[in-house]
Amino acid sequence: MGFILASIRKDLARWSRSPLELLLWLGIPLIIGGLITAMAGGGNGAGPNGTLLIHDQDESLISGFVAGAYGQGPLAEFLTVDQVSLEEGTKRINAGEASGFLIIPAGFAAAFLDEEPVTLTLKTNPSQTILPAIIEDVTEILLDAGFYAQAMFADEIDRIRNSDTDAVPNDIFAADMAVRVQGKVDTISPLLFPPAFDITIVEPPPTEPQPDLGLLFVPGLVLMAVLFSAQGLSADFWAEREAGILQRLISAPGQLNRFIAGKALAAAIIIGALGGITLIIGFFYNSVPLSKLPPSLLWITVSGVGLFAWFAALQMLFPNRKSANLLTTILLFPLLMMGGSFFPLEALPDWIAAIGRLSPNGFVASRLAIELKAESAWSFDLNGWLIVIAMMASGLALCAWRLHAGFARR
Amino acid sequence: MDKEPALLVVDGLTKQYGDFTAVDNVSFSARQGSVFGLLGPNGAGKSTAINCISGLLPPTSGAIQVAGADIVKDGKRAKRSLGVVPQELAIYEDLPAVENLKYWGKAYGLRGADLDARVSEVLGHIGLADRAKELPKTFSGGMKRRLNFGCGIVHKPTVLLLDEPTVGVDPQSRQRLFEMVEAERDAGACVLYTTHYMEEAERLCDALAIIDHGKIIATGTVGELKSQLAARDVLQLSGEFTDAGIKQVVAALTDRGISDLELIAFEPGSLSLTLSSASQHLPAIFEAITSSGGSITETSLRSPNLETLFLLLTGKELRE
Repeated sequence: MGFILASIRKDLARWSRSPLELLLWLGIPLIIGGLITAMAGGGNGAGPNGTLLIHDQDESLISGFVAGAYGQGPLAEFLTVDQVSLEEGTKRINAGEASGFLIIPAGFAAAFLDEEPVTLTLKTNPSQTILPAIIEDVTEILLDAGFYAQAMFADEIDRIRNSDTDAVPNDIFAADMAVRVQGKVDTISPLLFPPAFDITIVEPPPTEPQPDLGLLFVPGLVLMAVLFSAQGLSADFWAEREAGILQRLISAPGQLNRFIAGKALAAAIIIGALGGITLIIGFFYNSVPLSKLPPSLLWITVSGVGLFAWFAALQMLFPNRKSANLLTTILLFPLLMMGGSFFPLEALPDWIAAIGRLSPNGFVASRLAIELKAESAWSFDLNGWLIVIAMMASGLALCAWRLHAGFARR
Repeated sequence: MDKEPALLVVDGLTKQYGDFTAVDNVSFSARQGSVFGLLGPNGAGKSTAINCISGLLPPTSGAIQVAGADIVKDGKRAKRSLGVVPQELAIYEDLPAVENLKYWGKAYGLRGADLDARVSEVLGHIGLADRAKELPKTFSGGMKRRLNFGCGIVHKPTVLLLDEPTVGVDPQSRQRLFEMVEAERDAGACVLYTTHYMEEAERLCDALAIIDHGKIIATGTVGELKSQLAARDVLQLSGEFTDAGIKQVVAALTDRGISDLELIAFEPGSLSLTLSSASQHLPAIFEAITSSGGSITETSLRSPNLETLFLLLTGKELRE
């Protein structure tokens, strides 16, 4: 036991002097995860936000309604309305600082009331797609609403037009207009609320509940950190062989197996720490109950040691360090692709996902995904545990065989 | 010294790789408190022999007893008594010197206060006490060699195997290593020391075996081996010689009373002879060679030593 502990301490001390490698194994999955989250627009970040510039040359009550309509309701959540001069508006839209620039011409209110043609000018930002389209749609809806308001309140508009527009309307006139408008609104309300037509809402056929996009990526990204760590740590056998350590170790009485056990436990600590950090970030970001952290951490640590052992055994089959590293690096990326580290298994075509779940990391990631989505913690099944323990035991046995069978001699 | 027990007994050791025999029926024994040398040129089979003795390579045949335990049949017990200092460095360059020593101490079962005390002792012994917490990758080559040596003796082995420990070492560190080897011997260890440096073998070894092409060609103490030369010098000449001319030279010199003249090696460009009091006979030798139609461009005269013995035994230089 003493030599096992000494081997663990030795490896941890050595790896602590290689912080860059450890940071890379941890940082690459976190950077990729961050990029994916940013691209998917996930999380609680702010939505798209744009600016609509309005130059109101009419400065009437009606033009004020139009300008004000863009800042009402849900539109106000992602659209900021700025009243600007013609020069400033032209300058800012040309500089791409706004999503749209609406010019309401002088005489807009009079033309509206007289039912005469009038042109509203809307310039949109070609470098944006969503917000300018929304502004165009809203403008068209406003114009349609104006058309229907004209038809419905023709008498009232006519009376307003014929009144003395320069003077402040008296209370009796205002009250009369309000009663007339309210009367018409009351008349049509039964038709509008609810509408006088039936709408049959056809429910789509029941499908599986839509998965949480952020949560889908967590198992693959955690396994990416585990795979990077396992592959990097496995190369240490070659480093120790070339340093003559393994050869000296053969001359020591019966310590090779303890040496392997020490390396596996040191790998477990490092893989558990790095995988654990990615796991914790994923848990907090996706609000996964912390009760699932211990089983998830244990799962990825045991699996990680299995992956480490197999990477090491494969490396030790090669005649030199360069070819061994090359092979495992070449092997790493298809495993990451197939195992759901870049694209979640759920997002892959069924046949690729089926193959991916058969890959070692894909198997581990898919079982981890089940645990993360399960109602309660410790949902890993016994078969899963037996498989990863068998993977670990067989990998370590293969390592021991290679060390005894000549790999230790340089 | 002969009364001391033999801690290392090698009997009929043979190691073959297919048709190639790297070590051929080698036998020797080394006693407690002595240094036994294996002297031979590169590729002679010294490292293969030491690898078999340390348990790194399984012998094809033969037996090796380390402190009474068979290295093949009872490897664990035999290895407990063994300390190995390999030819190439075998240390963690990214682990402080003190941690290297502790690690190898633990590999041999040392623990706690015993380990700490022994590590401190070894650090002082190898002259690295003041650099104990530094990483070996910052050390000079000689310091790394000393740490390599320290890792091999930290558990106080009764049989210490040193495989060409001075290769690539500066003279100062070499001297330090010699002193460390002598200290181990004086402390009662049985040291097996392989080298291709004659002067190292002469200085350190109480007994030695000269090995070439995997076979032991001579064995004994340094004095016993030198006596095989019978105080004859070795004369090496470079120039132009012919086969017929050389026979004529040997005949002429024998006629002139140089009875112990012996031709060791002859090639068209070089000639090696052994004879007693060679310096007195140089004029006669030069005259005989010139008379035979040969010419001399370079002359080297060496008094009897292990290197000349090797030349006498094999017809070639030790460092070829």
